[in-house]
Formats: sequence, structure tokens, C-alpha cells
Amino acid sequence: MCMKNLLFSAALLLSLSGNSVSAAPEPWRSLSPALQEALAPLAQQWDSLSETQQHRLLKTAKRYPHLTHEQKQRFLNRLTAWSKLTPEQREAAREKYRAFNKVPAEKREQVKQMVKQEQEKKAQQSASGVPETAKSEK
Amino acid sequence: MNTKFDPIKIAKLLTHSTRQLDTSTLSALADARNNALKKLSVRSPVLTLSTGRWSHGLMPHSAQRWLVAGMLVAILVFMAGYWQHAQEQQISEIDVAILTDELPIEVFVD
Repeated sequence: MCMKNLLFSAALLLSLSGNSVSAAPEPWRSLSPALQEALAPLAQQWDSLSETQQHRLLKTAKRYPHLTHEQKQRFLNRLTAWSKLTPEQREAAREKYRAFNKVPAEKREQVKQMVKQEQEKKAQQSASGVPETAKSEK
Repeated sequence: MNTKFDPIKIAKLLTHSTRQLDTSTLSALADARNNALKKLSVRSPVLTLSTGRWSHGLMPHSAQRWLVAGMLVAILVFMAGYWQHAQEQQISEIDVAILTDELPIEVFVD
């Protein structure tokens, strides 16, 4: 009997503590100016986001004031795309990020250089208005 | 003289001699045994995490059990809360890292 009560109490308390993740929804107007600045790209759709997503984004936005100017720009530019992903896609991205950070620093740098070159190529193509496939066909 | 110790023989002798005891002696022995068993059950620990000798007699047995059970639940809840908080912190840290990394978000997103 005692053990049953103990297990029931533990399960109840654990479920209650688990619910704290999805806190009550926070309307856009109730957010502090600092949080509104960090989450500005989501101002229009904020109130329609799920409680869990709001909670996660608020936690993330609290780190915004500590970022450099360049990081803040990236953060704002990517936030909308990030919020449109499904929870599964976000979790997969986190897993990939964790895995990428386990790769030796030299190799990580190589990958960064490759991606940078690829981006520059794409930027040049879009500036000239000629796609790469068209160039190679000539 | 051969004085080899045989416990089975001794036990048989004791059983035999017990049968010869009168009723009042047997009942006195049974009472003494029961009293000893009662004292033993009071002194037995509640759980392995019992608070020790000093608490015996200060609190009823069931209250001690509830106290230990409550402490275990409290520890469990505290640990679950701490674990959850740590997980949340880790997730928001990674989210910020992805959103601010030199590499574009598309590298990590399928």
C-alpha cells in the first residue's frame, strides 16, 4: 500500500513537473522590448505559434543580448526559417550540429571553406544572371 | 572416551527432553520467545536509508516510513526537474549556435 502510494505520488509529481515545459502562451504584447527585438521576425505569427515553441524560442531569445552584432544579424535572418521547421526537423538539425562539432577542428574548417566557396559561386551566378548548368553546356 | 560432537544427536536429545517439560515451563518459554520477537520487529530498520538508532522510539514506525518515502519522492522530483532544466538549457544553447553559426542553416537542415 505504502509503495503504491509512493509510486503514485512520484508519477503525479513527475507529470506535473513535465508540464512545466509547456507554460501558458505568452501574447506578443506581454513580451519585454528586449525579447521583442530578438523575436522581431516572428512578430506577425507569434500568437499563432504553439506554447511549446514559444517557450523554446523565448529561452533562445534570452541569449540574444549576449551575441555580437554579426551573430545578431544571422540570428534574425534565420529565425523565420527555423520557426517554420517541424519539431522533428529541428531535432534532426540539432543532432547534425552535435555530430559536426565532434569532427576534428581541421576538418570542420575544411567544410566551412567548401561551403563558403559554394556560397560565393552561387552569389556570382545570381549576380550575373547565368546559372552554372547553362555555363557548362556552352 | 570418544566425545565426538554430533549436532543432530544433541538436537534430538533436546527435542526429547522438551517433551518431558511441564506445561507451565513450556508456556513461559513460548512467552519469552514471543516477547523477544516483538522487540526484534520494533528494532528492525524501516529501509536501508533509515535515519539510524536515535530515531527509534521517537516516531511511530509508519511515520518513519512516510518520512523516508516523502524524502525519496522529493529527491526524485528535484532530480527530474534539474535534469529537465539542464536539457532545456542544452537545447536552447544548440539552437542559438545553429542560428548564429558561420555555416548556413541549410547545412544542418534536410
